[in-house]
Amino acid sequence: MSGVGEKVSGTTKTPADFLKSIRGRPVVVKLNSGVDYRGASLSRTLTCLDGYMNIAMEQTEEYVNGQLKNKYGDAFIRGNNVLYISTVNMTVADGA
Amino acid sequence: MSGEEEATVREPLDLIRLSLDERIYVKLRSDRELRGKLHAFDQHLNMILGDVEETITTVEIDDETYEEIVRTTKRTIEFLFVRGDGVILVSPPLRTAA
Repeated sequence: MSGVGEKVSGTTKTPADFLKSIRGRPVVVKLNSGVDYRGASLSRTLTCLDGYMNIAMEQTEEYVNGQLKNKYGDAFIRGNNVLYISTVNMTVADGA
Repeated sequence: MSGEEEATVREPLDLIRLSLDERIYVKLRSDRELRGKLHAFDQHLNMILGDVEETITTVEIDDETYEEIVRTTKRTIEFLFVRGDGVILVSPPLRTAA
């Protein structure tokens, strides 16, 4: 499996490395149900996660079909529901 | 390997522990939500909740008008064991933030 994931920025090579590298970064978490969760602003980030993909995030916004549905002060998401975790590039925030 | 590594990396479950004996909001599968006091939980997110209000949301589509009718049903339960595999999300109760 060498070579897989080398497109990813810099040092991450395995999923485990990715999970170590994203703590404290802004992410988008998409669930199996299609709902996705983002930090409410670029400074709002993933607090921590574990090997089961359980996730803790601050100031999370919930989007269903692209529409903002809910906001949470802190959110713990059970890992089995997670479809993916994606990092977000820190560019100028597009107006929401 | 890398320079700094905390001796005890905090897991999401450690942070849920901070909510013990506090009221929390739980989102479950099947469009259900719970609000109650967290008495206990485990790594599966099995939980014991007290003084719980459950909200079930259903969306009906009218055959003729195709309008969506959103209904919520609520019930209160004094003491509840929640099986962890149904849990999607846990959060402190939604507050009116400043």
